[in-house]
Amino acid sequence: MDNELLKIAIAEPSVIIRSGITVALRRIPDYRIQPFEIVSNESLNTYLRLHKPDVLIINPSFWGHYDIAKLKTETQNPALHCMALLYSAIDESLLKGYADTISIYDSVELLKEKLDKLTKSSLDEISDENNALSIREKESVICVVNGLTNKEIAQELFLSAHTVISHRRNIAKKLEIHSTAGLTIYAIVNKLVEIDEIKKNLLF
Amino acid sequence: MQHKFSANHKMSDLINENHSLLLVISRFGLHLGFGDKKVCEVCQTNGIDCNTFLAVVNFLSEENFEIENSYENISIDTVVDYLKNAHNYFLDFKLPSLRNKLLEAVNQPAQNLPYGLIFMKFFDEYVSEVQKHMEYENDTVFKYAKMLAAGKLDPNYSIAIFQERHNDIDSKLEELKNILIKYYPDKGSNHLLTEVLFDILSCEIDIISHNKVEDYFFIPAVEAIERKLNAAQ
Repeated sequence: MDNELLKIAIAEPSVIIRSGITVALRRIPDYRIQPFEIVSNESLNTYLRLHKPDVLIINPSFWGHYDIAKLKTETQNPALHCMALLYSAIDESLLKGYADTISIYDSVELLKEKLDKLTKSSLDEISDENNALSIREKESVICVVNGLTNKEIAQELFLSAHTVISHRRNIAKKLEIHSTAGLTIYAIVNKLVEIDEIKKNLLF
Repeated sequence: MQHKFSANHKMSDLINENHSLLLVISRFGLHLGFGDKKVCEVCQTNGIDCNTFLAVVNFLSEENFEIENSYENISIDTVVDYLKNAHNYFLDFKLPSLRNKLLEAVNQPAQNLPYGLIFMKFFDEYVSEVQKHMEYENDTVFKYAKMLAAGKLDPNYSIAIFQERHNDIDSKLEELKNILIKYYPDKGSNHLLTEVLFDILSCEIDIISHNKVEDYFFIPAVEAIERKLNAAQ
């Protein structure tokens, strides 16, 4: 499970509802969620401008009605997913611009479904069961550890530069190791390379 | 707004309630041996602004950040000193101590695992990353904040520049954690390895929460002053 941290802002005046949502969000499996509670209209703007959350859960009526499109442009958050937080039925026309709604009676399962829907496009292509490296990926790791550039790896393995980049991305995702120094440790403790082979790369 | 801790709480209760506050208290330059003294008394004796101390302590204790615009009572100088002390702690104490423990854990001649060199290369790269990150904050950002607190704007800098470039410094530590948890061939019982992994985990949490203070407490507070000074111009 190498999920990216999802920043979720909760703009709701009631402390009980607000912290209730925070607790419910933390219970959602397969997500790493950082909730932020926003308590006033003023801080909403500051927060959105400075911190660019991924999702905003907002009570659409408390601080006056929000023009969601305008809020996104004004705070330079074009990709922000806004979800309306509803206590009860509400006039549909007030929900313009919201990606979805959350009811205070939603279950954790339902919250998860709704988040899945919002973030699905960004979910990784790799299924989580299969995190073993392919042969090609292993070969790429060895090249990286030996200090080859992407271009040199492409030549060495007869691949296009594009394929090498995609291998490297998959390696980083599967292993959760991004740096060359980290891959070096991985390769040595897993005996993909011998320590003597790469000593020259370690000493500079 | 009601907060978890107030000036009349006993300082010793803070630590018993939430032991990670021990690090915070020490970074404010407050020393153990509090007796039954209240928070405000300890702060006063040590010349620390009590409001700022409480604001940081409450910010870190109330797990969810409540973003509110009440920065008038915050002393930027106190926050900056606190953050600088945290930098010193990481660079001069915590990271060197982690490095020693890590070296000891992975270099076990009896098991013929000569991994010290590769781990140290990784670790030293990480430390120099952290060093660069913190030096920029010490030399540029904190200087700017102190100037603002003294009422002087700088036409060439704004806290938004910092916000834009302020990156996470915990990703390499997370990598190290993953390597040890998932890929390190642990040969039987190795208390040293467990111990260093445990230390890495708590250091990671500490660094993340330090960055949170910078992002969600320090930056908005500085921005509030910026706005006020700009409006007055």
